[in-house]
Amino acid sequence: MSLLQIEPTSWLFALSSLGPTVVLVLSALAVLAIDSLSPDARSNTRLAATAAAGTLIALGITVWYLLAGTGQPATGGAISLFSGAIVVDGMGLFFTAIFTSVAALVVVASYDYLEDDANPAAFYSLLLFATTAMSLMAVANSLATVFISLEMASLPSYALVAYLKTNRGSVEAGLKYFLIGAVSAAVFAFGISLVYAATGSLLLPDIATAIGDVTDLAGILGVGILMVAGGFLFKTASVPFHFWAPEAYEGAPAPVSAFLSSASKAAGFAVAFRVFAEAFMPALDVAVDWGLLFGILAVVTMVLGNFAAATQTNVKRMLAYSSIGHAGYALIGLAAVTAGAGANNATVMGAAMAHLLVYGFMNTGAFLFIAMIERWGVGRTFEDYAGIGRKAPMASMAMAVFMFSLAGLPLFGGFFSKYFLFLGAINAGFWWLAAVGAVTSALSLYYYSRVVKALWLEEPTGNLDALDSKPTGLYAAVIVAGVITVLLLPGFGPVIETAEAAAAAVFA
Amino acid sequence: MVTAFDYVPAIVLLPFVSFVVALFIGKQLPKKGAYGGIAATAGSLLLSLWVLASVAGGGAHQETYWTWAEGVGSQPFTLEFGALIDPLSALMLVIVTLIATLVHVFSLGYMNDEGERDLPRYYAGLGLFTASMLGFVIADNLLMAFMFFELVGLCSFLLIGFHFREPGPPSAAKKAFLVTRFGDYFLLVGVVAVFATFGTAAFAGAESFPALAEGALDGTVDVWTPGGLDTMTWFTVVGLLVLGGVIGKSAQFPLHTWLPDAMEGPTPVSALIHAATMVAAGVYLVARMYGFYALTPTTLGIIALVGGFTALFAATMGLVKEELKQVLAYSTISQYGYMMLALGSGGYVAAVFHLTTHAFFKALLFLGAGSVIIAMHHNENMWDMGGLKNKMPVTYWTFLAGSLALAGIFPFAGFWSKDEILYEALIHAGSEPLLFAGYAMGLLAVPVTAFYTFRMVFLTFHGNARSEIARNPEPVRWNVKGPLSVLGALAVVTGGINMVPVQKVLGIEGIDYLHLWLDNHWGGIEGLSSHHYAEIDPYSSTYPFGTEVATVLAGAAISLALAVAGLLLAWKLYNVAEPVEHTDKLGGAKTLLYNNYYQDEFQVWLADRTRGVSGGADTFDQGVVDGVVNGVSSVSLFGGDRIKRIQTGVVGNYALLLTVSLTALLVVFALLGGWF
Repeated sequence: MSLLQIEPTSWLFALSSLGPTVVLVLSALAVLAIDSLSPDARSNTRLAATAAAGTLIALGITVWYLLAGTGQPATGGAISLFSGAIVVDGMGLFFTAIFTSVAALVVVASYDYLEDDANPAAFYSLLLFATTAMSLMAVANSLATVFISLEMASLPSYALVAYLKTNRGSVEAGLKYFLIGAVSAAVFAFGISLVYAATGSLLLPDIATAIGDVTDLAGILGVGILMVAGGFLFKTASVPFHFWAPEAYEGAPAPVSAFLSSASKAAGFAVAFRVFAEAFMPALDVAVDWGLLFGILAVVTMVLGNFAAATQTNVKRMLAYSSIGHAGYALIGLAAVTAGAGANNATVMGAAMAHLLVYGFMNTGAFLFIAMIERWGVGRTFEDYAGIGRKAPMASMAMAVFMFSLAGLPLFGGFFSKYFLFLGAINAGFWWLAAVGAVTSALSLYYYSRVVKALWLEEPTGNLDALDSKPTGLYAAVIVAGVITVLLLPGFGPVIETAEAAAAAVFA
Repeated sequence: MVTAFDYVPAIVLLPFVSFVVALFIGKQLPKKGAYGGIAATAGSLLLSLWVLASVAGGGAHQETYWTWAEGVGSQPFTLEFGALIDPLSALMLVIVTLIATLVHVFSLGYMNDEGERDLPRYYAGLGLFTASMLGFVIADNLLMAFMFFELVGLCSFLLIGFHFREPGPPSAAKKAFLVTRFGDYFLLVGVVAVFATFGTAAFAGAESFPALAEGALDGTVDVWTPGGLDTMTWFTVVGLLVLGGVIGKSAQFPLHTWLPDAMEGPTPVSALIHAATMVAAGVYLVARMYGFYALTPTTLGIIALVGGFTALFAATMGLVKEELKQVLAYSTISQYGYMMLALGSGGYVAAVFHLTTHAFFKALLFLGAGSVIIAMHHNENMWDMGGLKNKMPVTYWTFLAGSLALAGIFPFAGFWSKDEILYEALIHAGSEPLLFAGYAMGLLAVPVTAFYTFRMVFLTFHGNARSEIARNPEPVRWNVKGPLSVLGALAVVTGGINMVPVQKVLGIEGIDYLHLWLDNHWGGIEGLSSHHYAEIDPYSSTYPFGTEVATVLAGAAISLALAVAGLLLAWKLYNVAEPVEHTDKLGGAKTLLYNNYYQDEFQVWLADRTRGVSGGADTFDQGVVDGVVNGVSSVSLFGGDRIKRIQTGVVGNYALLLTVSLTALLVVFALLGGWF
């Protein structure tokens, strides 16, 4: 008996509901097809165009669905597919919009980055397959689909980190990422099996129902939930599963770092938010206070990420640690959740989602700026960045926007997202989370402004002639990310409203 | 239908636009932004007159423009910007815009014609100053009033320090800013106290804080008081806190010391500060929330005493000053003392009346002084003047009109308003000894005022010229004479708006227009009328000279006689061809008066005594606050360094750390969750 025979849906309906995912798969296959049909041609332009078109169409469909209310309360609620293994709703679409936006920016930027590469098709297809898997993570509604989509996203990521085959750092980073990933996947799979043992189901809503009947198996369930959380902590690069992140982000090609630190992190949160909000809410009273767990980890992650970032000399590594710190901020979305406080939970989780969206643009932009620097071959440390603002004012201006927005200065999108997040935490009674967030944000201003100071205020130390070449794609991606980061300040209202509505639907 | 009230925001915004224009493109404009400022303030004046006419036609208006913060939870404060247009604010709007317009015109002569530099900055400052004051006047709640009150303070700082390249003005500006800021601390605490007590800071309506306070004293409304304090005691404390800001801004004892120094600003700015904006703001605030002050007899008594004392105290210091503007500065302090005396003794209308007449004659005197200063090439020492009467007749005659008004000589404007103040204090003094002290000091100040005023007039305009410049003064143009003429006329006739003594003595009803106006005779807002204030204030009237008419006549006769006596003494001593200094006859008192009773020295001494405290605060700031900040950063850098070392680069270590941490978490949560 096929799955669809017990489900009153048709393949066509299922495919159209999963439109963004389907488009991403097809464009990945198209990239491979183009490369197979003419393996010898220099086809970077064609491949980049195909990949960019795929991501942009997927983004377009996602936004269209979001606006049209597909899977949201306005049109009859979440669309459940394949016996409930997948559910298309506002939260899934919101996160898919983040992944596809980031992927589009990264593809456009990679066009220049891969100009001299022998085989760009592999890069684009891996990127697209990873994005596909992320869009599935966002809609996964059963622990089985969660695990499979998460691994599906991880495997291309390992390959992407190690993409520069001749570069020792890249290969080493890929290997480390893979090994830690393997450990985490083992923990994650073990956790799922324990949850299944305790509740007898893999579907998230069924788990939630079954938790009420777990009596003497509460310990098993608790261990299972903790280990499942471990799997997500790996994906989001949170303490203590963060060890891979600084090295992977630093060693990987900068566009891949941008992709991993923005999209992949958001994907981890997408699936974590859904699993914990839908399946494990009743476990708060029964098995394990996972709100407290995430609270502790959020504090440790914020502190560790920001403290470590403050002492780096390498800009890319600084951004890697700052990315860990931002995982800590987003964890507040899970930490400030309490049993029975539906509205507050949705508000704070919605704020975390909105923060991840803003973060998607500002952090991607920052890493793509690094990609531009790498392409120019200027150097990696703060000293090497001195005086670049004079030679490349537009890009440096955009970088200043990213830095100040990441720090949360009230001129850019990053201000509101942090503000709403901290406010939500305070209103939910978790003032200490907001306090740690505010203090570490203040600290982060120190190391972010070091970049801006180097770019604009310091005298150039080395030869900056390489900056005369202007990589169009990289420039376009950086500027677009910068403009969106600025526009998200006035345009934050619709974003936070959509996010909170989506979160409320999941908690309902 | 479009009414005048739809344009109320424009009254405030027009000068603000002129500020922006002058600031950014003033350099390119003809006259460096002066015309824009004149057009904006004249526009505001026309709109204000329209608003005044609409209020006279039975209208009154309260509107909230913007709720900029809305509270949540158990104490839902809403913080708003709104306008409250009632007879009081409509009258004040006209006064402020009129004086501002005339000051702008006068500035053409005083600043442009004299070739001053940085004129766009000057006109930008004037524009913002006017806009801030107008915003303060229309404010419908205490918090908004406070914000504009602070803006007014900031603008006066900017304008007093306009000539910042010289040593005096920046120091005077700092002094003005700091001294008024000292008072404003109390006001800020008062604003918070009002919010905490009543949950609102609105001036008008059934849910306003004066109305709630009235209800609380009647026992019909429950309000919060700290530690269950008696409501009356607490309201007195709140009233006194707010009064702190008033005393600073309206230059009352002991925070008056900034005003004489503020003379370092350009003279038109002094006119604006003294007549219509900065200093008037304090008294206006008390009038605005008079429904609250009238409830607490102790506060009223203190206001009256401070006012009466300041009136006399400042007047005596004006006796010996040698600079024209210095004399005027002390007269301002003294005159605002009268207004405070009026407010403290239940004479709400009298205070507003004196605020109005004073605005006109003090603006006139300052602009007249400015005219003299132009003529004298910026020499302000009266001993270098003399004999200017025939050389600048327009200035002389208008200045004389202003001086007669200031001295309180019948029938000039100041006579009527000052007389009413003293009358109100007198008839209410029976029930309150503090008032009687205030009245006595106010009365004593009358001859002193007349004396220093005419000493100034005679030294400046009469006798023989005592310097080369005074023999050949520089001529002034229409842009100086025009404003002087307008204000001169007003100084003569403004008393006609409120001829209460005439009404009482001759029994002609309905010529006390200002009384009717402020009593919502033509229109107004419930609860904001002089009638209502008279009902809730603690005073009753007694007539020490038998009947009401007799008291009116006797009071007027006494104050007029004293004023004329002072004038005649000045005439005898100084209206001679070659006047000499008579101050030596004062003996030791002369030094005391020259040094302003050593008030500045006293404040410096006080500051020195409290240096220990502030030094402690500084040590705390440097050591503890900065220390914590520096400590946090070193700890974070150190901690960051440690964390960096955990990242060894060996993947085996990572796997180990990861597993250990996970196990630790499992153990902790197992213990917490009781899984064993």
